[in-house]
Amino acid sequence: MKSLPARLVRRILGGILMILVVASFTFFLIHMIPGNPVEAKLAQLEIAGVQPLQAQHEVQAMYGFLPHQPLDVQYVHYMWQLLHLNLGKSITYAGESVTHLLLQAMPWTVLTVTSGIIVSFVVGILAGVIIAVYRERRISNGLTLFSTFLHGIPQLILALLLAYLFTTIWRIFPYGSPYNAALHPGWNLPFLGSLAFHAILPVAAYAISSYGGWALTMKSSVISVLGDDFILASELRGLTSRIRIGYIARNAILPLFTTLTLSIGFMFGGSVFIEEIFDYRGLGYMLISATGNLDYPLMAGSFLIITTAVITANILADFLYSAIDPRIRVQ
Amino acid sequence: MSQATAPYIGTVPPEFRRPSRWATSWRAVTRKPGRVIGVVILLFFALMALFGPLLYPEHLPINAALLYAPPSWAHPLGTDFEGSDVLAELITGSRYVLSAAALAAVFTIGFGTVAGVVSGYFLGRTDTVIMRVTDFILTIPSFPLLIVLSTIWSFGSPIAMGLVLGLTGWGGLARAVRSQTLSLRERGFIEAARGLGLSNIHIMTREILPNIAPYIAMNLLLSVTGGIYAEVGLFFLGVIPFQANNWGVMLNLAFNNGALYTPQSLLYMISPMVCILLVTFGIVLTLDAVDEILNPRLREA
Amino acid sequence: MSATMNPSAADVEMAPGIACQVRDLTVAYHVDGRDLTALRDVALDIHQGKITAIIGESGSGKSTLALALMNAVSKPGRIVRGSVAYRGMGDVIRMRPEQLRRIRGKSISMIFQASQNSMNPLTRVGKQLLDLARSHRMPNPRDVLREAAALATRMSLDADRVLTSYQHQLSGGMRQRVGIIFSLVLKPDILLMDEPTTALDVLSQSSVLEIVRSIQRERQLTTVLITHDMGVVAELADRVVVLYAGRVVEEAPTAELLRHPRHPYTRALIRAIPRLTGDPSQAKALEGQPPALASIPAEGCVFRNRCPHRMDVCETVLPKFAMDADAGMHRFACHYEEARA
Repeated sequence: MKSLPARLVRRILGGILMILVVASFTFFLIHMIPGNPVEAKLAQLEIAGVQPLQAQHEVQAMYGFLPHQPLDVQYVHYMWQLLHLNLGKSITYAGESVTHLLLQAMPWTVLTVTSGIIVSFVVGILAGVIIAVYRERRISNGLTLFSTFLHGIPQLILALLLAYLFTTIWRIFPYGSPYNAALHPGWNLPFLGSLAFHAILPVAAYAISSYGGWALTMKSSVISVLGDDFILASELRGLTSRIRIGYIARNAILPLFTTLTLSIGFMFGGSVFIEEIFDYRGLGYMLISATGNLDYPLMAGSFLIITTAVITANILADFLYSAIDPRIRVQ
Repeated sequence: MSQATAPYIGTVPPEFRRPSRWATSWRAVTRKPGRVIGVVILLFFALMALFGPLLYPEHLPINAALLYAPPSWAHPLGTDFEGSDVLAELITGSRYVLSAAALAAVFTIGFGTVAGVVSGYFLGRTDTVIMRVTDFILTIPSFPLLIVLSTIWSFGSPIAMGLVLGLTGWGGLARAVRSQTLSLRERGFIEAARGLGLSNIHIMTREILPNIAPYIAMNLLLSVTGGIYAEVGLFFLGVIPFQANNWGVMLNLAFNNGALYTPQSLLYMISPMVCILLVTFGIVLTLDAVDEILNPRLREA
Repeated sequence: MSATMNPSAADVEMAPGIACQVRDLTVAYHVDGRDLTALRDVALDIHQGKITAIIGESGSGKSTLALALMNAVSKPGRIVRGSVAYRGMGDVIRMRPEQLRRIRGKSISMIFQASQNSMNPLTRVGKQLLDLARSHRMPNPRDVLREAAALATRMSLDADRVLTSYQHQLSGGMRQRVGIIFSLVLKPDILLMDEPTTALDVLSQSSVLEIVRSIQRERQLTTVLITHDMGVVAELADRVVVLYAGRVVEEAPTAELLRHPRHPYTRALIRAIPRLTGDPSQAKALEGQPPALASIPAEGCVFRNRCPHRMDVCETVLPKFAMDADAGMHRFACHYEEARA
């Protein structure tokens, strides 16, 4: 078994390699887009009467490379710009740097996704424990059915249903913006309160869509831990139920961290729908609107950032896991 | 000994005769009412996709005087934002959705099974490479990837859609099939077949594949649900040009035409979602029966 | 609640020298809509300060008995009737859960068959000992650690290392010994051992038994040894109870039982002991299989299907215990032997 630092280095290097692969993918993607948008942009600028040198300069700022250069030079330019965290310039948001736009978009996505994961994880685990402990009772069967049902509803439908039911049919929650536009954004209580209130539905959409998975995984994990010898031993040693529940919980939650990896990707992927439906200007929204508006630098940047966020979150989840499991932590 | 058993072979009493595949399937399905419901739902939607569009014109008539009409004999599910019949939209839209989802499932299973079996059979470097790619595919969130891919590849036809969904969705299955293959290996399966001098291809297709076939069959059905979600999601987001009506397009038009803001659109909004959930529900219920047919140990005595 | 209100707190009347008295103990497993009886009307006495062995083949109900002695039979099993009364504690079958929890691990402790896996894999051994001490409200948990360290040293373990280790850092034999530390560290009155050596190799077996015996002698610990191994019984036990198909068929002091076994099943068990000296082929395994839970005869003698002395009466009448008081309360349940005597 490898020591923790070696593992850390390995995981991070793997993550960086993955990001590089994704970056190369977006580079070639732009080349494969029908109609060659880079060349088209250059031509468009020159027709508009912009000086050729000036036009080239602008195109290079947008995409990070020029169409007339050899492919390898373009690639090196593109990657060099990426290394400086320069993702080019947006076409639709005239002149704005993609990096800047995405940095503004990032908190919307990361905060809602993280809240959704935490809420669904906690609720799902509690439900899983109840299902496992009260096996063969009505509450357990009911909860299992309920969880399986929720597990089967896709994020898109869930988000649409929540939005439609709770803002239009029953006017419980506000709809259409992430906060009350009349309030002044900043660290003041009314604004933060409005932010939280508007966030309830989108966070619920994330949480409900992944709740069922946690509950069902936790259920089988608890059942398998309850069958372990040490649980019977702790009962026969007269440990208090508080201590025993602690033993069971830690051992049962551990295997769920491997699922966390998949869940994070799923959640960030779902941001595409949830941000579109609830009008959150997050990463998913940026990706969709950029794709719709043929804003390729912004599209490539959004995709790269979403993927990077998922990869980073996976590495963090992996370390959380090894921090809890001594069998990995200690050599 | 052989004399004692020989005459017995021809005269197996009827109660010991192995029931036919169809008979066991029928029994497995009819044993629980939920399974019957599941199969009926799937048959219903399959028939709807096959024959439904024949009954309706390709371009639906629009009655501008009847926007968001409540259900009536003329429009059992009401009308949409421009006065088209919702039921007709559902029926004409089912063909694309279901055929693309079925194709997506076939492609997913195909790629995933090949990658998983090859990886688990050869191990070593082949395994490392395939599993790296699999991890990569699993890590990258598939919807954003599909959106980005839509700019270079127009997957408007069911086959193109199925192929793309298969290409982006085989990761999970590959991993599962690999571990199934590994467990066969642990049981000495592969070594035994190698010892008999069988070729790699033969072992993979004739020895391993039949043993994991039940598992694959189950996943084929499950992948259909994944396919439906993915394509409906893509059409909803509007990144694919619409060539024909389908449930995802319905949701997209509803969303973009403000149906979300008016309670009058209830039936119009809910109908495609209910269809999607019903198909999922039917698949899950049918899976229960398929599981029993393919894993005879579950069959009750 | 006053002590008189609680029947389990009242001391059951017991003969002097008896630490635990089991009466009419019947345990059934509910499987496929049927109740299968694993133990039927088991009655036995456990003598204070002595090692009482309970011997039987797998399927004889001995592991169920071990759990029933702590009222820990779990679903689908259930104690149908009977009592398990300990001196000074009362009947564990009728105890309230919290009361039961307090005596488990403290007054009555158990060395498990799977002792190697009896620890929480995510917590250090020392921390788990502290959990044990706190659960039983030991005035000074540090003392418990000190006692554990002393026991570890005695079992030739590196005490500091063991207490700061996780389970996966210890070898199988070390874990077994750590399991024994858990069972002895709170100085219980009664020690139950359920097949303590089955999972070990021969060398570890003998060292584990050595340790248990020396501590038992030193503390005059009342011990119940549950095993299938007549060799271990002969080496360790003061008294033996023979269990077959959920019933006690014979009980006697060890020396008496080995010299004058009365029940045909006991005789077969003794014949099956492989001896270090002499011809190993003389050790004869008992023919036939012990009955499965579902096929235990409901009436008559449970052993008759494997018995060389089977008589007509064995088919229908359950043999009653015959007692030989002169031979240290030697009792057995066999029609054939009774007729001979």
